[in-house]
Amino acid sequence: MLTAFTRAFRTPDLRKKLLFTLGIIALFRLGSFLPTPGVHVSNIQQCLGQVQAGPNASVYSLINLFSGGALLQLAVFALGIMPYITASIILQLLTVVIPRLEALRKEGQQGTAKITQYTRYLTIGLAVLQSTAFIALARSGQMFPGCNLDIMVNDSIFTLVVMVITMTAGTSVIMWLGELVTDRGIGNGMSILIFTQVVAVFPAELGRILQTKGGWTFAVVMIVGVLMIAAVVFVEQAQRRVPVQYAKRMVGRRMYGGTSTYIPLKVNQAGIIPVIFASSLLYLPQLAITMFGDQKNPNAVVSFISRYYSSANTGNWVYMLTFFLLIVFFTYFYVSITFNPPEVADNMKKYGGFIPGIRPGRPTAEYLSFVLSRLTAPGSLYLGLISLVPLVALTLVGASQNFPFGGTSILIIVGVGLDTVKQIESQLQQRNYEGFLR
Amino acid sequence: MSIRERIRRFLQRPGTVDLGPLRVHVVRANELEPSVRDLADADLGARAREARSRGDLGEFCALMREGARRALGLRPYDVQLLGMLGLMDGRVVEMATGEGKTLAGAMAAAGYALNGRRVHVMSVNDYLARRDAEWMGPLFELLDVSVGWVGQGSSPEERRQAYSRDVTYAPVSEIGFDVLRDRLRTEADRRVVPEPDVVVIDEADSVLVDEARVPLVLAGAAGVGAADPALAEIVRSLRARRDYEIDDEGRAVHLTSEGIAAVERALGGVDLYAGGDNGVISAVNVALHAHALLKRDVDYIVRDGKVQLVNESRGRVARLQRWPDGLMAAVEAKEALVQTESGEILDSITVQALISKYPTKSGMTGTAVAVAEQLREFYGLEVGVVPPNKPCVRADEPDRLYATRGDKENAVVAEIVKAHATGRPVLVGTLDVAESERLAMRLRASGLSCVVLNAKNDAEEAKVVAEAGAHGAITVSTQMAGRGTDIKLGGEEVARLGGLYVIGTGRFASSRLDDQLRGRSGRQGDPGTSVFFTSLEDALVTSYAPDAARMSFTPDEDGLVTDKRARWTVDHAQRVAEGANLEIHRNTWRYNKLIELQRGVLLEHRDAVLHGDAALREMTVRCPARVEELTASVGEEAVARAARQVALFHLDRCWAEHLAFLADLREGIHLRVLGRQNPLDEFHKAAVAAFAELLPEATARTAETFETVEVTAEGAALADAGLRRPTATWTYLVQDNPFGTEADRLLRGLKNRVLS
Repeated sequence: MLTAFTRAFRTPDLRKKLLFTLGIIALFRLGSFLPTPGVHVSNIQQCLGQVQAGPNASVYSLINLFSGGALLQLAVFALGIMPYITASIILQLLTVVIPRLEALRKEGQQGTAKITQYTRYLTIGLAVLQSTAFIALARSGQMFPGCNLDIMVNDSIFTLVVMVITMTAGTSVIMWLGELVTDRGIGNGMSILIFTQVVAVFPAELGRILQTKGGWTFAVVMIVGVLMIAAVVFVEQAQRRVPVQYAKRMVGRRMYGGTSTYIPLKVNQAGIIPVIFASSLLYLPQLAITMFGDQKNPNAVVSFISRYYSSANTGNWVYMLTFFLLIVFFTYFYVSITFNPPEVADNMKKYGGFIPGIRPGRPTAEYLSFVLSRLTAPGSLYLGLISLVPLVALTLVGASQNFPFGGTSILIIVGVGLDTVKQIESQLQQRNYEGFLR
Repeated sequence: MSIRERIRRFLQRPGTVDLGPLRVHVVRANELEPSVRDLADADLGARAREARSRGDLGEFCALMREGARRALGLRPYDVQLLGMLGLMDGRVVEMATGEGKTLAGAMAAAGYALNGRRVHVMSVNDYLARRDAEWMGPLFELLDVSVGWVGQGSSPEERRQAYSRDVTYAPVSEIGFDVLRDRLRTEADRRVVPEPDVVVIDEADSVLVDEARVPLVLAGAAGVGAADPALAEIVRSLRARRDYEIDDEGRAVHLTSEGIAAVERALGGVDLYAGGDNGVISAVNVALHAHALLKRDVDYIVRDGKVQLVNESRGRVARLQRWPDGLMAAVEAKEALVQTESGEILDSITVQALISKYPTKSGMTGTAVAVAEQLREFYGLEVGVVPPNKPCVRADEPDRLYATRGDKENAVVAEIVKAHATGRPVLVGTLDVAESERLAMRLRASGLSCVVLNAKNDAEEAKVVAEAGAHGAITVSTQMAGRGTDIKLGGEEVARLGGLYVIGTGRFASSRLDDQLRGRSGRQGDPGTSVFFTSLEDALVTSYAPDAARMSFTPDEDGLVTDKRARWTVDHAQRVAEGANLEIHRNTWRYNKLIELQRGVLLEHRDAVLHGDAALREMTVRCPARVEELTASVGEEAVARAARQVALFHLDRCWAEHLAFLADLREGIHLRVLGRQNPLDEFHKAAVAAFAELLPEATARTAETFETVEVTAEGAALADAGLRRPTATWTYLVQDNPFGTEADRLLRGLKNRVLS
């Protein structure tokens, strides 16, 4: 991998792309620190320090994780990449519902360009909503409960409007930065920016562990983290190759065995989605009791939930077991939706492909289902365990609240990291392949 | 520039440039016009050359105009001079039909040639290359610029001569094939195409966009085809829908379980899908493809006992084109014809790679703005729009949409009868050969005499086109008359009747093709009318908007549909088709980029062998004893030649095998998406690894052959190895990602869950 990087930096064209990407990342981080006009910077820092030591620390560290610390500082890029991601998900879902959008999507590049344009408009809309809501929250003092300092210089309507406009503009700039990386840099812009935000909080979090828990805990955390990353990289790369032969061409003297044609089935075919689904679902019970539950005289359900499912206490076995089971369930669910064996078998049949020894159509679909279910079993266990390891291990050493190597962040880091390295490699193969030859 | 003009330009589609600044030269040319009238013929060329080298474009324009007036009897309009200047500026100029692109292109070619450059004028077909070269010949002669043309039938000697001229007219495919053949020469002095310099592309959108979808592939004969007539017989007995199914777009066919069982029974109880050697199942699939997907008189015609391919986007016979991978033999078996030699891919080139070798590029067409973005993305070319000399007054009527194909055909015949009754000339554009003949038969049955122009009678093309604008003429044509043909109205009377009436019997796969057909009428401010008759059963609609079948609407008693949604569907289907074709183009390019690079490395190596003694040096290292022995018996020069011949043979052989490997790899690469991998990246990975072994493998094989081959004073006796000449060409298509992205699959999966 190191050689790949040095080679990449020696290719002028590629070096430009890499430096461009790094430059965008730097710009992105700068915007995440730059306070929005009207924010009382020193007060906000004090409040932040207070809540991070307080009882709800884990909620705040989660918020920080995905915004790279920008949100709680009310930075220009406070909203981060999320409005854009939300907007693209909404539009993708809408294509299922609205025939006009589906028709556009079918029209190829021209149509997709239009949909992208709609996504951008929606992003702006969402950004206005979110920034307004967030500034209203900050103004009413509910952003940092228990901290009574004024986090805004004044709350005249003019200041508020300026803040909303600034944050919305910031979101559009982020959107543009992401698209720039996709077009002119390396890797997928959106993923790179998420990656940046996730990684950005690491140094601070690790520093805090070192300060509050001491060198030994720090060392253990580091070792566990590195081991986990290695393990995740290993499993993410693992795949089962189902050989496929295409038989629609008559070519004299085949000199090759056709070993390059196969269906790669990954052990972790589902990626990170099940973990995200499971963790968001686990916030629901707590949310439900905060909104509807009677806190003063808790009944059995409410007390059970607040005892086992509060985000302040994720180290208990009920939480862990539920989390684990949910991940396993969602893995199966997701794989069954995205990999549809009859459809794959149908497509292969259509273009003259078959798995040697297995007849096309139903038998092929059944075979693929069989292989897939055998792979999904270890895959789902792996996802579940990876997500639990930090909870278990760090409850043991007593550092669970601030541990940055959560299952989600590791999967994001490794996923995006691997993708990006692969893209660099692929770029090398497109250009610098002579380097492989001579 | 007026404010209105500025706003119009601001709103114009991206990828276009303003040709306005060039107008000053045209203005100056008008001032200078009287002063060049008295020049002697002999001085004209020299003055033009001198004006060109001084960079005085105004005077150059005036001289060109004078030259064209004297040599051709045509005085170029201002807009033609503007078009010429745009071409000399390296743009793609959009000029409407009948505005004299040919003359503008010829003057621009002369402009480059007078500056000491070598110009290739690329056209879409033989007919246009030859017509334009001969028509413009006097102008070039007057200017002392030599000109030549190349066609499908040209011999190597004729080609070499044509390419040695200052200006060469040739179809893009011929230039491509000559470049490919040159790469396989085993003698340095046999090459025909000189270093590329300037290219002026006629019908630029057709060449650069439509033709670029599939690479030009050079194939060499590899023995007689081996399609089993018995297999064709078995396949013939299969029934559609029961034994086999054809996909929506009509590009793929496959056996059903019943079909598999029937074929296995007929073949004597074999298991087709056992794996290992899949020769039998491949032969069955190919025979089925030939039987179910390739239709006589649509995809090919049978002439003189031979199968001849019809080019889809041009409607012409592609004489040297053949289907790949045993399909040709299967079609011959289907038609019970004598089987010709089957081929093997020797080399291929994309139109894009071919064009990019020219340092200076320019082009002209009637429909460029619609593809301006693509021209910029793929070729870095900008489009400049030249306004018409006289405004176009042709009436383009809205489509008439019918529910069924039958209703549409009745309506077309009725419309032709009505128009013909007034004596107005009618040009009918049909989608394929079979349709043109069916329509002609119906017209004759209703007592109308009509002329048919299609791939079957292409020899009479010039005559048919010349008479198409005459009083009372009815011309039924395929795409052949859709481009480049200039139909002149037969006099004042015809103009009074409303000019040429163009009727399209269905929308083409791209709106540009529609516009080209419309453009046959209304040249130079002539009156004219165009209308398209479409139906919801047209192949375009059923292939690209299959949902249309479920639509509810009420046609009137003639079957005419006025429902707004139904009409929108036709446009939508065309846009989907355009999008799909763009995707194919982009994929062709993405998958060929690396191959182009690898070819570059190989060619560099090959040139070192061809022009030097790299082969001999390599052999001296590898097998010194053999070299010594041979040098003693036949002399050093003969040994060097033998080493070169053997090395070239194996290099070409290994390259052909590499291409075959890549074709095979490409076919199944879309499956990688299922493992969340990027097919293109995976393709690159495998291709790079395979290529890394190519040169060492070629050297090893060369050494092996060199040790054993018989060497005489003439060189190595490679006859046994069977060095072959390239004889055939073909094209193929592969779909990239039929599963859609992961998000697509997720959505589709959810939709299915929810709905079922």
